[in-house]
Amino acid sequence: MTDVRIIAPDAYPQPVSRSEAARISRALKSPDALAQGARVIRQAGPILRMGVEDYVRELEQAAGDPASVFDKAHEIRGFAETAGLRATGRIADGLCRYIEEASKRGVAADPAVMALHVSAIVRATNAKDEAGRMSDVVAGELAALAAHKLAETAP
Amino acid sequence: MPGSALERLSVLIVEDNQHMRSLLRSLLNSIGIREIHEAGHGSAALAVLHDKKCDLVLSDLAMKPIDGIDFTREIRQSPKSANPFLPVIMITGHTEKHRVEAARDAGVTEFLAKPITAQSLYARIAQIVENPRAFVRCTSYFGPDRRRKAQEDYAGPWRRHDDVKDVHVR
Repeated sequence: MTDVRIIAPDAYPQPVSRSEAARISRALKSPDALAQGARVIRQAGPILRMGVEDYVRELEQAAGDPASVFDKAHEIRGFAETAGLRATGRIADGLCRYIEEASKRGVAADPAVMALHVSAIVRATNAKDEAGRMSDVVAGELAALAAHKLAETAP
Repeated sequence: MPGSALERLSVLIVEDNQHMRSLLRSLLNSIGIREIHEAGHGSAALAVLHDKKCDLVLSDLAMKPIDGIDFTREIRQSPKSANPFLPVIMITGHTEKHRVEAARDAGVTEFLAKPITAQSLYARIAQIVENPRAFVRCTSYFGPDRRRKAQEDYAGPWRRHDDVKDVHVR
């Protein structure tokens, strides 16, 4: 058994009083606050998109180095969807998962699989609406390819 | 929300991505939070905390040279920490279980998964102010209680002296 001391919330300083906390909580859950927040994210879309495009350029330059590819793809998956680039985020997420899983299994990530993901991320980021929807199909196919490649490494 | 207590809150954003920092600032501004500090990584954030009083931290997980996990550990355990009880919301795109567990064991208060939405961010802030967590101090950990709810069918080992009492109280 470990000697554990529990410190109740009343026993350490809180940023607001209980009554203020209840008011804040109600305000934060209000439809007005949520609508305003959603508007903020929509308005930030074009700026965020430029940020994603910067990372995509860096991702292309990182090709061949799994650690760098992972770092850039990780940034892209983090906020591509918030920037309205859902397919880009999904493909980047698939690439990160593939590199993580390969590393976990102690095998090198296949350069061809990484290159295909990078190429698809570039296309999805630059795609207009119709092509963007097709990128969802590409994301699914790449996920299947990554799974197949990983299965080949199974003992 | 003019006149709200939110206007008195001071928030520190720790995020290496400038665009994400800007978005978080705008989301906080839109609910009336005016005092917002920013840092691009954990060591810069520790310097801010040394100089400014903050009520809440929004921190990314993956940053260099000090990541969100080490940054949180410093807040909780360093003798120089201005407020070891400071609430930390960890923003993460990492879905790997061991990274999330490491962050939890460093003393993170809440997690916010990317891609972020206004609803998910505001819900975490509401949770922190309305239901502040008890803290636990033992030889191997100091931070928010990691047991979020009592599990009636819990079959694992009882590790605390007051576990039996806990079960009745909760």
